Amino acid sequence: MDQVVVGERAIRYDARGLVEPDAVAPKTSQIDGERATFDAAGRSTREINLEIRRLLVEEQVKDITVRNPGAKHSIGVAILERCKLRFEGSLGYFGVGLIDGPEVQVTGRVGWSVAENMMSGVVVIEKNAGSLAGAAIRGGDLVIKGDVGARTGIDQKGGTIISGGNAGLLTGFMMQRGRQIICGNAGHGLGDSMYDGAIYVGGRVASLGVDCVEAELTGDDKEMLEGKLHYYGIDNPGTFRKFVCAKKLWNYDSLEPNERKLVL
Amino acid sequence: MAETRHVTIDAEQLAGRSYPYQHDMALVERIDLVAATPGPDLNWLEDIHLLVEEGMPAVFDRYSNSFLKIYFDIPPGREDEFARKVLMAHLQSGNSYGIALKAKHCKFPQHMLGPWDESSEIVGRDWKPPTMAGWEKPSGH
Repeated sequence: MDQVVVGERAIRYDARGLVEPDAVAPKTSQIDGERATFDAAGRSTREINLEIRRLLVEEQVKDITVRNPGAKHSIGVAILERCKLRFEGSLGYFGVGLIDGPEVQVTGRVGWSVAENMMSGVVVIEKNAGSLAGAAIRGGDLVIKGDVGARTGIDQKGGTIISGGNAGLLTGFMMQRGRQIICGNAGHGLGDSMYDGAIYVGGRVASLGVDCVEAELTGDDKEMLEGKLHYYGIDNPGTFRKFVCAKKLWNYDSLEPNERKLVL
Repeated sequence: MAETRHVTIDAEQLAGRSYPYQHDMALVERIDLVAATPGPDLNWLEDIHLLVEEGMPAVFDRYSNSFLKIYFDIPPGREDEFARKVLMAHLQSGNSYGIALKAKHCKFPQHMLGPWDESSEIVGRDWKPPTMAGWEKPSGH
């Protein structure tokens, strides 16, 4: 920890960029075997995250319920363990980002960029999500049972994003791999500049984005859709259409396909 | 002798060796992929397919951005299944270079093998910022 004096203020900082460098895990959870319940009311973002991490790593808890998350931002980030996490309430923006392995349930709503950069795991949002849900995810399932905002799955590199309701504009913008399943309607610019992957829409599409075209829905697609929606208890509208990249913007030279593999 | 240049990153080059599960199908055949991944299905492994790299069957390890070659004969029709099993053996054993880096570089306590082995050792308890000999912080920082 370092401290410098700037003007009349002493600024303390940590090389990791922690905004609350002195925060400690509150250790107020009720632990019962491999399960724990934590009341987050009145706690800061960092205290909540430290407590979750303490339970997983130090107490070997596998199933955590967080009450009163209070729609705080950046809750439940960087969880790199197999576990179950249940948030009883809503999360703000960047909720459960950078995760690898957990199975998360949020009983309320979430703000921007939920589950961004998820590597693996399952995130189920019982209500609506803001824009940029699943930004740049590389794997896992992100399930939003309500509606989602704009640019869902921007730069998606793998995994599956499911919306039980409608999706906003530019859904699948710059998508590189993976799948999106939108059970309701999709806004303007669907799949704009997507490189690869597939978007399934059960309702109306306002307009397609650049280089996005409709493709044939195969038997494998139908089987996958039925399976995924059944797992998560979402009604299958039975009217899905499939959208993919037309590949007219693919202008790679002989080296770039190999480089693409590294990127993807 | 001329150095062999690779366009892509080879997992064996990172490790300096190959691993038994790249050569012996019996070592990976019993891996339960559904149990090894979160949720009721294959989760992120659905995106993993058998690829060909430098003329060899290979699977991509996203934790190290490298290709892991597979030397045993894969039964026809089971290409993706064995690609996923070899990858899972690689991750669960901690041999992925990206996971090996955790021991030195991770900044908060976590299980070394993350979601792939919950009983693995905990690393990251004593992370310290790297220092460079002779370097001094700029004034005001």
